[in-house]
Amino acid sequence: MASSQAPSSRSGEITSPGNRVEQISDSDFEEELNGTAMLDNAEYLSRITPPLRDMLETGTSQVQDETLEAILPFLEGNPNDFDLNSQGIPKLQRKKHVAFLERALGYYPPQFAAMDAARPWLLYWTLQGLTALGEDVSQYQERVADNFSAAQHPMGGYGGGHGQLPHLAATYAAVLSLVIVGGTEAYDSINRKSMWQYLGQMKQLDGGFTMSPGGEEDIRGAFCAVVILSLLNLPLDLPPDSPARAHGLSSFMDNLGDWVSRCQTFEGGISAAPGNEAHGAYAFCGLGCLSVMGPPQETLNKYLDMPLLIHWLSSRQCSPEGGYNGRTNKLVDGCYSHWVGSCWALVEAAAGKKGLWNRNALGRYILSAAQFKKGGLLDKPGKRPDAYHTCYNLAGLSAVQRIYIFDEGRQRGVGNGDLVAPFHWKEDGLYDGDKVWDNDDVVDRVHPVFVVPWGKAEDCRLYFERKECL
Amino acid sequence: MPRFYHDDPAWSDVEPIAQDDGGPNPLAAIAYTDEYSEAMGYLRAVMANNEYSERVLSLTEHIITMNPAHYTVWLYRARALEQTDTSLADEIAWLNPTALMHLKNYQIWHHRQTIIDRLGSPDGEADFIATMLGQDSKNYHVWSYRQWLVKRFGIFDDKELAWTESMIEEDVRNNSAWNHRWFLVVGGRGGQGVSEDIVKREIEYAQTAIRKAPQNESPWNYLRGIIRHAKLPTSTVKSFILAFADLEKPDEVYSSHALDLLADIYIEENKKDKAMKVLDLLANKYDPIRAHYWNYRKGLLEETGAVG
Ligand SMILES: [Zn+2]
Repeated sequence: MASSQAPSSRSGEITSPGNRVEQISDSDFEEELNGTAMLDNAEYLSRITPPLRDMLETGTSQVQDETLEAILPFLEGNPNDFDLNSQGIPKLQRKKHVAFLERALGYYPPQFAAMDAARPWLLYWTLQGLTALGEDVSQYQERVADNFSAAQHPMGGYGGGHGQLPHLAATYAAVLSLVIVGGTEAYDSINRKSMWQYLGQMKQLDGGFTMSPGGEEDIRGAFCAVVILSLLNLPLDLPPDSPARAHGLSSFMDNLGDWVSRCQTFEGGISAAPGNEAHGAYAFCGLGCLSVMGPPQETLNKYLDMPLLIHWLSSRQCSPEGGYNGRTNKLVDGCYSHWVGSCWALVEAAAGKKGLWNRNALGRYILSAAQFKKGGLLDKPGKRPDAYHTCYNLAGLSAVQRIYIFDEGRQRGVGNGDLVAPFHWKEDGLYDGDKVWDNDDVVDRVHPVFVVPWGKAEDCRLYFERKECL
Repeated sequence: MPRFYHDDPAWSDVEPIAQDDGGPNPLAAIAYTDEYSEAMGYLRAVMANNEYSERVLSLTEHIITMNPAHYTVWLYRARALEQTDTSLADEIAWLNPTALMHLKNYQIWHHRQTIIDRLGSPDGEADFIATMLGQDSKNYHVWSYRQWLVKRFGIFDDKELAWTESMIEEDVRNNSAWNHRWFLVVGGRGGQGVSEDIVKREIEYAQTAIRKAPQNESPWNYLRGIIRHAKLPTSTVKSFILAFADLEKPDEVYSSHALDLLADIYIEENKKDKAMKVLDLLANKYDPIRAHYWNYRKGLLEETGAVG
């Protein structure tokens, strides 16, 4: 800030009750703050914009130019008229986002029938988003447990809803939602034995997992499966009726690391399945899977070409936008704030080094460009907000603002049994480098592998470590 | 015209299973239309009975038109097709317009894959994929399906390569097309070695593309990939790289990616000071958003203690 006034006194004035946008928008103070912010932003953008630009026009460069044109006003100024923080950047619009997410838990009109199979996701994104914003969601314990009791399949696992076939994505979202609300009723509603048997049906000879019986095999399956095995403390032995057993496999872990390894592409990123294109969301799934299988410094270094991976991850940050894209030559999108942004804690743990990535630029994109005027977060300006982009922008913001480190010691005594590596994470305070956010804009802690509120994964695992049998 | 089953004599033997959204006060519940709600009730009932029949196929078709994102309906339809004597070619013909209407739908592609796998022939698929990519040239499901198709039917031929080239020609920044080229030349061949001639051809192909737009990340990644795969030193392409980025002319750099590879060359050549200078240029001038990364690379270099 070029201004002489102390930031603390300013933010105090803006946050004081009753000081609404309409009331202060014509004050000298507001104009001064906005004017300074505009200058600061312009200076920043001229510094961060890459000097090299090719003249050749193609479909890719056309949509990229259009996109940047739509985003720039949000990075330069404040078209949403949000309250600004001491850095001249829109504050995290907490209340608006909470209201948006609470609406997302309500009723949907008939044209939302397409969401029928995705209701577990809707619950997970919403509950996770609310907790990142500091909300207590324990009031939903009973309703979440009821919801998933109806969606639990008699053969194990969860479908999108009552009577739907079990699916690993729905199962992952269901388990995480139950973990987030917590409590005995939620935990006990999970049939762990049939879950274990269902996962046994998904395990493939090559090491990966299919998403459903007869469904596609991709890296989401591998990630979802190990997350569930770990959180619910399930045995790693394949169930007796698992088809993979007939092919000589005996453990869920058999060939799994090698399969993830085969998903790393020549670009360095990770794809849905061997041979496909490297993609940000699958990168997080791959790194997450390996980080459940063991400490990242062991598993990531063992199964991945780390220099190439780091190179690719780093290249996903769009300039000058600051947010991430998911693939080479694609557009910036707020959900990759998490899918790519949250890879860094895992990668830095493996590399044994900190400070590999530009947190501040991503924080700027999320706060300036990914907040929707009326609440909720989005892909990019011009798009509609939804629970998915709200959840993952906020998870990305947590990755930006907080330092998560892998610690040799276990958290809260969790960790008797298998797949305990993800219970070694600890928060090492807030990022203290250059930053465009104030303490008021900081979101809550998010578990770097499980993507649930701090402590909730440990609560669940402890509960099941104390259970005698399945 | 909505379609109902409760007064249809063909369905009189089925007792639909009512929707249960979970408890008295469900979260994120959807107010389904009567038509959708009833059809789903009948689907739950036939699934509970493991019924696979002609009428189940028509029921799943009805639900898919209302909600194509419903994986359960697709999976159950695939089983029903297997159990009944339905023409798989007819299924594909029905699938085509549906797929065009719902480009980003996972289920449709997996279903198509299941059917084509059973049919045992890729005839017509290449054309259909081209139509789909005409709508969305980087669609992840479509490209993944194409890779499955190539692998399943062993189509690693010149025609496929020429088609991929035409996609790259259309938009040299289409990374999905570059990835497919890699799949054809290297990745899909199950670890088979690539001959010296082909390595040479691929290096030249990437270089030609780079000359069109030197700041395009895709061909640079491809070039690096080929060099590494062939276990060649990066200096193999040193003169090419120097044309885009030369430490002697730090103000006349045409590609940050060239600088990136130039740093690799100096590291290989054990010229640490030069590598440091290149990384500084990236961090401070040509790629400032990644300054943290370039500085991290410098830090690694300092640790190795290589001489300048
Ligand atoms: Zn997105």
